[in-house]
Amino acid sequence: MSTREAKTDILQGTLDLMVLRTLATMGAQHGFGLAQRIQQISGGALDLNQGTLYPALLRLEHRGWIRSRWGVSDNNRRAKFYEITAAGRRQVEKESEGWARTVAIMDRFERLTETE
Amino acid sequence: MPDIWMRIRELFRGARLDGELDEEVGLHLQMMEEEFRRRGMSETEAMAAARREFGGVAHSKEAYRDQRGFPWLESFGKDVRYALRGLRRSPGFAAAAVVSLALGIGANTAIFSLFHTLMLRMLPVAHPEQLVAIHRTGGWGRGVISLPLYRQIAGRADLFNGVIATNGVAKVRFSPRRGGREEFAQQEFVSGNYFQVLGIQPVIGRLFTGEDNRVPGGRPLAVLSYDLWQNQFGADPAVLGSTVVVDEQTLTVIGVAAPGFQGVAPERHTDVWVPLMMTHFGQVMSPNMWWLMPLARVRPDVPIQRVRAALDVLMQQHLRTIYGERYDSAMRKKALDQRLEIREGSVGLSMLREHFGKPLGVLLALVALVLLAACINVANLLLARGAARQKEIAMRLSLGATRARLVRLALTETLLIAAAGSAAGIGLAAWGVRAISGFLPEVAGNPFSSAPDLAVLAFTIAISAASALLFGLGPALRSTAINPALGLRSSGLDRSGSPVLRRVLVVAQVAFSVVLVALAGLFGHSLLALRSVDLGFRNQSVIAFNLDFPRLWKGDFHRPQEQLMKTLAETPGIYSVSCAFPGLFGGGSSDSTIRVPGSQRTATEPADVDQTYVSPRYFETVGAGLRGREFDRNDTAASPKVAVVNEAFVREFLRGEAHPEARWLSFDDSKPEGGERTSIVGVVRDIRQDGIQQKIAPRVYVPLTQKALDLPPDILVRTALSPAAVRAVVLRELPKLGAGIAVTQWGTVRQRIDDSIFETRLLATLGGFFGVLALLLAAVGLYGVMSYGMAKRAGEIGIRMALGARRADVVGMVLGDALLLVAGGLILGFPLAWAAARAVHSLLFGIDAVDPLAFGGTGAVLIAVALGAAFLPAHRAASIDPMRALRHE
Repeated sequence: MSTREAKTDILQGTLDLMVLRTLATMGAQHGFGLAQRIQQISGGALDLNQGTLYPALLRLEHRGWIRSRWGVSDNNRRAKFYEITAAGRRQVEKESEGWARTVAIMDRFERLTETE
Repeated sequence: MPDIWMRIRELFRGARLDGELDEEVGLHLQMMEEEFRRRGMSETEAMAAARREFGGVAHSKEAYRDQRGFPWLESFGKDVRYALRGLRRSPGFAAAAVVSLALGIGANTAIFSLFHTLMLRMLPVAHPEQLVAIHRTGGWGRGVISLPLYRQIAGRADLFNGVIATNGVAKVRFSPRRGGREEFAQQEFVSGNYFQVLGIQPVIGRLFTGEDNRVPGGRPLAVLSYDLWQNQFGADPAVLGSTVVVDEQTLTVIGVAAPGFQGVAPERHTDVWVPLMMTHFGQVMSPNMWWLMPLARVRPDVPIQRVRAALDVLMQQHLRTIYGERYDSAMRKKALDQRLEIREGSVGLSMLREHFGKPLGVLLALVALVLLAACINVANLLLARGAARQKEIAMRLSLGATRARLVRLALTETLLIAAAGSAAGIGLAAWGVRAISGFLPEVAGNPFSSAPDLAVLAFTIAISAASALLFGLGPALRSTAINPALGLRSSGLDRSGSPVLRRVLVVAQVAFSVVLVALAGLFGHSLLALRSVDLGFRNQSVIAFNLDFPRLWKGDFHRPQEQLMKTLAETPGIYSVSCAFPGLFGGGSSDSTIRVPGSQRTATEPADVDQTYVSPRYFETVGAGLRGREFDRNDTAASPKVAVVNEAFVREFLRGEAHPEARWLSFDDSKPEGGERTSIVGVVRDIRQDGIQQKIAPRVYVPLTQKALDLPPDILVRTALSPAAVRAVVLRELPKLGAGIAVTQWGTVRQRIDDSIFETRLLATLGGFFGVLALLLAAVGLYGVMSYGMAKRAGEIGIRMALGARRADVVGMVLGDALLLVAGGLILGFPLAWAAARAVHSLLFGIDAVDPLAFGGTGAVLIAVALGAAFLPAHRAASIDPMRALRHE
């Protein structure tokens, strides 16, 4: 129970960036693999409803940032694989910068409270 | 872009994508279960855990599907399916609404497409907005000018960036090569700068330059239209340098004009352009030969007032040099009164526009009224329908539907009605345009055969959308503005749907009908007045035609003409054959100056009279009353000169004389007493031979044998045979007369008369059609309101009858109510109709704008329609069984 309370809800819009970043570094993934990686990277601290991954993947595909194709998984099962596109990589760069700026700003506010 | 394509693909592959999603999610869950079992869970525990981690499976899938394709489109699709189901449930309503709209939209599309072609469509040339037409007014002829005057205008570089001239488009003989099969093509003679000023490029070869148009007969060249090049020459570039035969002139093809360019007349499409200097009109350089229509490109830096003023000065100077000293004073005054008028040129030069522009404008206004009436009709039907569905709407509102959603549903329904109405309307319009084109005389050209225009389509869609909003929005808002609780509770008796609003709509509908019916009455009465004019001859079913001889015809045309007339005269079933120039309603004119010894009128100056060349039995053939005698075989070139005059001639020159047919006149006008005598042997009734509204003027008829005529006269045949049978005889004889002779202007004189008044016939016919349409719509509206009103008042009527009201009282009450609505409509409509009548006054013949017959008739017809529409509801009301009605209450 205690671990559950420590988990964080995913901030609106950040799931997209997590997916893109994961695909950018890990290469093509199927849905389950992708969910596993995101959980792993977050150190199990994220409360990810894995079902919500699929609408997000479709959204990214509509925007042309990722593409999908059917392939064969490690244990020989038909699965849909997602990979990042060139446009997606550009998007990751852009969003990462924006994210870094937001974090830096929030960080300053945090320090403000600490000094008081 | 990839987004759009992906979404479109998703739109059509929904089922397959659903399957793929199922597979993907299934695999995900399966892999999770395996993972959990590896961690040591039991099978059931693993399954539950996987479900928990994944979240709501159905919910995820739904969220996924919602994103796919075009979500708004799918919800629109749902609305459409719902609306379609609703319309299928009430086919009567759907049919009435769609038919009303189709008629309104169809009529508008048809008239607008004509209006657009003739009045609005810009020429496909460079900067059409800079073009102006220069039109001669006053004097003689129809706006055309002479070559010397054109050259003076074209020389004004301070006003214009080029002025072109054309002599209009004419159908002529054409063959793609010398000795080849002869066909017809539309030829236009143009100035050398024509293409350059209009900014038209050649597809191949070159176009004319000023050099090609210097000397009469100098350069026998031709430029072909793109269409002709495609259709007759298979787009073969080798056509350049080859020769074509156009109107019997051999011309060398030098180029093909850009596709889409078909000359500057909207109602005609030029196939071949030829330099002006190649015409065979004779005195092309003469200042008295009026034959050119100029189109000028005004310099953008010159205000139009300055152009106008400069042209006024130029014209006066020009006229003074020509008419300054010569001619008699009356003629000189007429000549100097001429002016040059500037007209809109961006839409091209059109003869048809002169006659037909105003009637088309009137028709456009009429169809707008028809569409309004149709919209009101549909709005009324929708209100009734909304009222009938009150319970359903209340139910939906109480189940949580928002009002906006319900309005959207209602509007979807009206959109469907509008779409079906405009689709049917476009079909009707195509038929209507064909029907209207049938009214146009052949010589008027045919502007309306062209393919559907984008502008017309845009217009149709715009008016359909506007109509949908007009008739749909009000009822949609009105029918959803109900309190759900009250709506559910209401007993179903209150189903009339905003009775006051509906009554107002019906009154408006009646008012529109009044305008349309009154105008129909005016145009119909005007046509009757035209038809009842005494033309001076009885036999309108006489067949008239003209022989067209090759221009290079050797020898005279009298012999073949006479040979054909003789054969016809010997044909059983043909009563008489004659010929005349100018023919009846055939165009053309001839005049002569004369002296009438003893008449004051010609004592000092000779007089100008109309003249007709005729053969024997002419007056018998056309059925004109004659005092004295006709010409006969004994009036030959060698016998004494004779003439027949009309009654106007007698009134003008021989007023009050007891025996005008014993007098003589002289065509030798050199001295007051005249020269060689021409005996007047007969006086004929005044024949209107150029037009019903033509002013009667003195006319002299001379025998063809005694005065030379250098063009073939019209042949007239009075017969009991059908025109087709006579035509068969003529066509059989034709080859025997000589090569290349053709029949033109074939038809009965009655058809020619019809052609001469086609605008009035069209206005009367279409006006009548629209009037009937408006009456039908009004009748439907009245019927609807009356029967709903009666249904609502069934209880009240039952009580009245129980208390002793008689059948007649009830019927009278209902009919009185209907008459009240019509009275409202008449009070509103009559002033509108009066204003409309004033506006179309110039199109009426022989009647006042406030024509008692048309207006009285309109009132009577509307009252009759109202009584007719109310009769059934009245009858039903009177048949109410008081007991049942009361029990229902």
